[in-house]
Amino acid sequence: MKKIVYTIVFLSLGVGIFHSCSEDFLDKPAYGALSDEVLADEKGIEALLIGAYAALDGQDVVNGGTVALGGGNGWEATPSNWIYGDITGGDAHKGSDGGDQPPINSIATFSADPSNGFFNTKWKALYEGVTRANAVLRLLNQAENISEQSKANIAGQARFLRGHYYFELKKMFNMVPWIDENSENTNVPNDTDIWPNIEEDFKFAYENLPSTQDDVGRANRWAAGAYLGKTYLYQDKFPLAKEIFTEVINSGVTSNGLSYGLVDNFNHNFNAEFENNEESVFAIQMVANDGTNTIGNSNQALMLAYPYNSPFRCCGFYQPTQDLVNSYRTDEANGLPYLDNYNNNPVKNDMGILSDEPFTPDTQSLDPRLDWTVGRRDIPYHDWGYHPGYDWVREQSSGGPYAPKKHIYWQYHADTYSDQSAWAPGNAINVNVIRFADVLLMAAEAEAKTGNLNTALDYVNLIRGRMADNSQHWLKDYFDPENPLDGFTQDYAANYNIERYPEGYFTSEEQAMEVIMYERRIELAMEGHRFFDLVRWGVAQEVLNNFIDYEGQITTDVRGGDFNSNDVYFPIPQRQIDLSTTADGPVLQQNPGY
Amino acid sequence: MKIPLFIVVMLLFPVTIFAQEDEILLTGVVLDADSGMPVPSANVIEKGTSNGVLTNFDGEFTIEVPADATLVFSYIGYATTEIQVDGRTEIEVSLEPEAAALQEIVVVGYGSQRKSDLTGAVSVVDMESMGRQPSPQVTEQLQGQASGVTVTSSGQPGEPPQVRIRGINTFGDSSPLYVVDGVPTQDINYLNPNDIANMQVLKDAGSASIYGARAANGVIIITTKKGSGDLKVNYNGYYGSQMVPKGNVYDILSPQEHADLRWAAMENTNPGEPITDRQYGSGAQPTLPYYILPGGASQGEVDESSYFVDPFYTESGAVNGFNQIIRANQQGTNWFQEIFSDAPIMNHDISLSQGGEKGNFLFSLNYMDQDGTLKNTYFDRYTARVNSQFDISDNFRIGENLAYSLSEGNRVAVTGENPINHAYRSQPIIPVYDIAGNFAGTQAPSLGNSQNAVAILDRNQNNFSRTSRIFGNIFAELDFLENFTARTSFGGSYSNTNGQVFAYPTYENAENTTYNQLTENAFTGYNWTWSNTLQYQNNFNDLHDITVLVGTEAYHNQYEEVSALTQGFYSFDPDYVNLSTGSGTQTNSGFYTEDALFSVFGRVDYTFNERYLLGATLRRDATSRFTNPRHGWFPAASAGWRISEEAFMDEVHWIDELKVRGGYGVMGNQNNVDPANAFTTYGSNRVSSYYDINGSNNNIIEGFQRSRIGNPNASWEKNINANIGVDVNLFKSKLQISADYYRKDVVDLLYNPELTGTAGVSTVPYVNIAEMKNSGLDLSATAFFDFTSDLKMNTTLTLTTYENEIVNIADGVSYFDQEARRFNGSSIVRNAVGNSVGQFHGYNIIGFWNSQEEVDAANQEAQNVLNNPDAEYQSDIGVGRFRYEDINGDGVITSDDRTFLGNPNPEFSGGLNLEFTYKNWDFSTFLYGVYGNDIWNQVKWWHDFYSSFNGAKSNTALYDSWTPNNQNASAPIQETGGSFSTANVPNSYFVEDGSYLRVRNIQLGYSLPTNILDNVGLDRLRLYVQGANLFTITNYSGVDPELTGTATAFGIDEGAYPTPKQIIFGVNLTF
Repeated sequence: MKKIVYTIVFLSLGVGIFHSCSEDFLDKPAYGALSDEVLADEKGIEALLIGAYAALDGQDVVNGGTVALGGGNGWEATPSNWIYGDITGGDAHKGSDGGDQPPINSIATFSADPSNGFFNTKWKALYEGVTRANAVLRLLNQAENISEQSKANIAGQARFLRGHYYFELKKMFNMVPWIDENSENTNVPNDTDIWPNIEEDFKFAYENLPSTQDDVGRANRWAAGAYLGKTYLYQDKFPLAKEIFTEVINSGVTSNGLSYGLVDNFNHNFNAEFENNEESVFAIQMVANDGTNTIGNSNQALMLAYPYNSPFRCCGFYQPTQDLVNSYRTDEANGLPYLDNYNNNPVKNDMGILSDEPFTPDTQSLDPRLDWTVGRRDIPYHDWGYHPGYDWVREQSSGGPYAPKKHIYWQYHADTYSDQSAWAPGNAINVNVIRFADVLLMAAEAEAKTGNLNTALDYVNLIRGRMADNSQHWLKDYFDPENPLDGFTQDYAANYNIERYPEGYFTSEEQAMEVIMYERRIELAMEGHRFFDLVRWGVAQEVLNNFIDYEGQITTDVRGGDFNSNDVYFPIPQRQIDLSTTADGPVLQQNPGY
Repeated sequence: MKIPLFIVVMLLFPVTIFAQEDEILLTGVVLDADSGMPVPSANVIEKGTSNGVLTNFDGEFTIEVPADATLVFSYIGYATTEIQVDGRTEIEVSLEPEAAALQEIVVVGYGSQRKSDLTGAVSVVDMESMGRQPSPQVTEQLQGQASGVTVTSSGQPGEPPQVRIRGINTFGDSSPLYVVDGVPTQDINYLNPNDIANMQVLKDAGSASIYGARAANGVIIITTKKGSGDLKVNYNGYYGSQMVPKGNVYDILSPQEHADLRWAAMENTNPGEPITDRQYGSGAQPTLPYYILPGGASQGEVDESSYFVDPFYTESGAVNGFNQIIRANQQGTNWFQEIFSDAPIMNHDISLSQGGEKGNFLFSLNYMDQDGTLKNTYFDRYTARVNSQFDISDNFRIGENLAYSLSEGNRVAVTGENPINHAYRSQPIIPVYDIAGNFAGTQAPSLGNSQNAVAILDRNQNNFSRTSRIFGNIFAELDFLENFTARTSFGGSYSNTNGQVFAYPTYENAENTTYNQLTENAFTGYNWTWSNTLQYQNNFNDLHDITVLVGTEAYHNQYEEVSALTQGFYSFDPDYVNLSTGSGTQTNSGFYTEDALFSVFGRVDYTFNERYLLGATLRRDATSRFTNPRHGWFPAASAGWRISEEAFMDEVHWIDELKVRGGYGVMGNQNNVDPANAFTTYGSNRVSSYYDINGSNNNIIEGFQRSRIGNPNASWEKNINANIGVDVNLFKSKLQISADYYRKDVVDLLYNPELTGTAGVSTVPYVNIAEMKNSGLDLSATAFFDFTSDLKMNTTLTLTTYENEIVNIADGVSYFDQEARRFNGSSIVRNAVGNSVGQFHGYNIIGFWNSQEEVDAANQEAQNVLNNPDAEYQSDIGVGRFRYEDINGDGVITSDDRTFLGNPNPEFSGGLNLEFTYKNWDFSTFLYGVYGNDIWNQVKWWHDFYSSFNGAKSNTALYDSWTPNNQNASAPIQETGGSFSTANVPNSYFVEDGSYLRVRNIQLGYSLPTNILDNVGLDRLRLYVQGANLFTITNYSGVDPELTGTATAFGIDEGAYPTPKQIIFGVNLTF
């Protein structure tokens, strides 16, 4: 009897099993994630838009490690283009020691090949930005219950951001594939010029965005206008550029409603405490101590670019060149630069001189912007003390004696604006994509190219005048070099002298352009523009080979470099060509010369 | 297991009818023919009847039989023996041990089979031989013990070895499925090796395919011990020491030699230029400084009283106010010896067991404690097990197997940047401590940027990871209607791992971290498997043996991760530090996932006349990981022919068994697919999708990004497997050979081909796109030799070969690269179609450029070929640098000239086990070898090139590098900067032969004679001494040729944790 009971219990259990396992048992959702249906309303699309802004810095942190969006080292996707604009442009050395980050060596000497991983990293991070902007636009088309006004604002911002990402791609790689919110296929050829598409995006943004925004970090109408002007300028569409720049200069306001202008203190453009001022047209917002315990939102891409063995710890990259430093030499007599022979009277440096050996800095006349741009021996390095030269440099012989300065935070507010939660610091200093000085100088080009030499000169003199008229904001010496936090005296740190160009100084388009190009370099040095400007002006080969010849006498890193006409664009990353390959061959075509 | 065995034994002997006349009461004893020891629990059956008994603990039995009966004696591990009673009333029977006797019962998927009936490829592991390797891990002990299984382990205690059955089957996880007491699991690190009764490796589709979607990487079936016979207490224990190599292990230059090398490199780079150095002064010869911080200072030059360092500073900026003073270690610090030292290993294992008619039980406790030879690394584990079975009636049994383990360890990463890496990078002039006993390091200028490895390990000492895990099952079995057995089993595991890491601020390094941070994490895993089987077994007409099994199985798995960290601790006292005492931002994160399987399966085994064997299995799996379709079918068929049973073989007496067998079928793999693979998802991430839209400078606003692109159509990887094998037993089973040849075609291989950058960077879905094939030979041979009645030997050889070839990756994709390491932009490993997984790739060196004339000539040729007056034959071409081979013969070196430089997959690996017994002495040794694999020695990148970061350099760099007078050198000319033509790109300089032969184990034991033991009431007492890993024969120049890695990139040495030598004393005791 017992046996039968056991048998029945057992077998009925067995039958139960076959029925109990229905399909529900196997239905498992994706945990901790949302589908796009959930996000297809105003709140969701707004959050996606924030995500599209978040791609501006190209940075991520994975398992505590610094990475770019989509992989690669964070710095390879630098949003400030310190590698792709300044090192390649002759404004900065790679720095550090010769063997560190060797792919930058070949980028700096124009011998980089398409398999150089840096380009692939930058490419991927930028296209992630494009992808995020497209996601906003795609969902916006599907969403209901959003006011036309909100739609225009969201779409305008998304297209502004997409325009920015494509602008970066265009100036680096020239022929790149265009993917927008309607693209089903993302593997498309790079056989068409995308300038018209970029223009379209900025035009749309210009026409649809409001002048002011609730949040200062958002793009507004005038940022779009300035970027549209820049797009025209890159295509040599000078009359169109002039028209829009004029409007931006006359009527433009920042997203928080400040009329565009130049801040009295040049250095406030590079100080987190004074950011989003009237000169900030569009900036990538950086933070410090944001609660992530990482520096992923804190200018992570510049983490290598602090003086070595200094209070900043790491890593000695991004050292300004002697050639750049020399370009700040001014004529003692008239406060004007030496346009074509600035290297003839070089600024004195401390190459090969140990920090405990005596050194007297250069005593001749200098543009005061030099010491807001470049850290040099025995000149106050913000409030961190005199730059000690040799001791803060990893390898003078390859990287030269100088240190960068525009992205360096101050000691007095380091607790607030720097972030120490990584092996190298982060900081809250915004990356200026476009600042008003840039707009004025671009406008000056457009004016010069359309024959308005006096207007052009006026714009240039606004730039110089800001420095000339605000000597109280030139760099001063410390009260007590041992205690730099005690502040500064009224004595200038060096022999500064800067004046406006005299009335009627521009005599021809060519001469005006020479001055504008020079002024643009020294005003915007170490802000990622130089290489792209040289290419756009068609002078890259001459200028950069001269630079290599000159600088190669001082440091070893650029020796053997040679810029040829194909180096105006970087190679399409080999990895991307490989990935685009289908049975019919690669969809992406390499740029000439690679 | 006793009952099925009983049935099998009965089926073997067809029922015949005897006239029953005089019943007599026979008593007897069953002894081991070799040792004379009693054999308990042996089957004693009257032939042709169901009349039978078991022997007791002393081997004794009593049975009532007819006077003319024939008795059949059988027991696992012994040859079945028939004895005519011939009217005797007392009898003594000796059973001949038969290590791999044909009657051996082998556990296979959801059941068991006689070994002679096997049609699949199954390796049965010799547990005794395996158990000799002193290791807490079963998988590590398995190395070389089973043909077809490749095990690679690290010297780090608790580090799970890499186990592969028949090569690499996937680009993802190649780990086999473990089935412990019927419960599938992916992890057996918690298991106490002493608890294992037997272990089988199912290698082909015929044997493994019944595990369907989880079978493709092979299946290892483990059964834990059960009680039998009288109450027994067993104790096994050992204690030993683990030893590290002595001396200058990395062949590092002394401080003076290093300085000389620096001078040479600077002179080579900028000939004739005056040399100035922060440490070594200036002039023709370098001078070693007295102090390295301040750099290059001489004795008396530094006021040591001005020293100030607060090693436990809490303000990030405080480090700027330090005045550290470090004296040079002019004799040189041996960083290897500073971090590695001899360490103890200890194991205690005690078990109680008993078995009888009403059931059985086993209770065991184990304590394992292994310190690592690397400072502050360790692994210890407590395991408790209770296995019991209750025979409630003669047809109904219930029971359970349950193990609880608590393990704790502290480990370093075995790949990537770790303290070992920093130890071999640190220059010997840096002392471990500064003048005040705080850590010294590269804060001293111009000495590179390595970190003080002793400091890293010291600061690591309170970090740990602690896992508690309960694993087991409960089961019930019912026999009914004569031939049916139903079984249900519910089992699984619940595990929890807690870990904490405290990061101290540093002050001694070139690149310091200035924050302090506590990270704690908890991982909770929970899974269950409910299996139900129904088995029908019968024999018809003495000719047809048939077993049919059907079953269902449900599996549910969930996993959760919680992690939190905070910074800003006032004090670093471990008693003070917890997640709420930090003053900094509190950060937390979490993760959760869940998946499930539901399966139906069946198996038919048919034997005709004990000669012709047929087997078929079919499984239908449904998984939560796939949606379209959700189900997959995995069939397999196998057949065998026992030629030795044929009449024409009757005269061939020296062949006991000759069987050929073959199988064909499909095994699946779903391991590599994330449960969310089917879905396109959006998510947020504080770093990559949040943004400070307000310009607040410290506050980020939530934003979303697409986190994953879904593929609803992903499906199983299918491993189509053909196996042909032969089993031969010769000379009364003195020689047993088993050989298998197999071929596996892995189709629908899941791969997540990187999408074009234009698609964005979301997680790419796995798609069934790639294809791979494996073939190889598994061979095992066992021989028994009795030289004299006292001196016996047995030996087992296993041999494993596999050849792996990638057949296809994805449309238009012919390879994917991995492991850039220090070669930014180019990779060491290329997984390419037509080649094996993990092959090394780069430029092949064919010598040096010995003169400027050679360089000019090569450039001239390149200029002619390319018609370009500026062309160079090879980037960064220069005298004394490497000359690369022009693979494609186009007259110039481009990326197309990269070639395959080596293969980390061995041609074969094998184990040789030798055991001798002489009277009470036993001696055994186990050798393991790997042949034909290559190693990428990345340590050479750091040591042999002055240009590769400013760190410790090797004797090779100074004494065997190219100079005009030493053109027959190993390393190229030493320069301050790296180049394409030296160390900036992967090239053949780093590839070495990784073959090795290692004496894994030598053991000498002595068992006390029975007469002495009887006096003290012991059954067995054996003492032994053992040496493990005593010798390794290899040409490899690195520390240890045994290297683990990832599934598709392995055999790369960037600072291995060497396997230590061990000397061990142990005892085995039974009473």
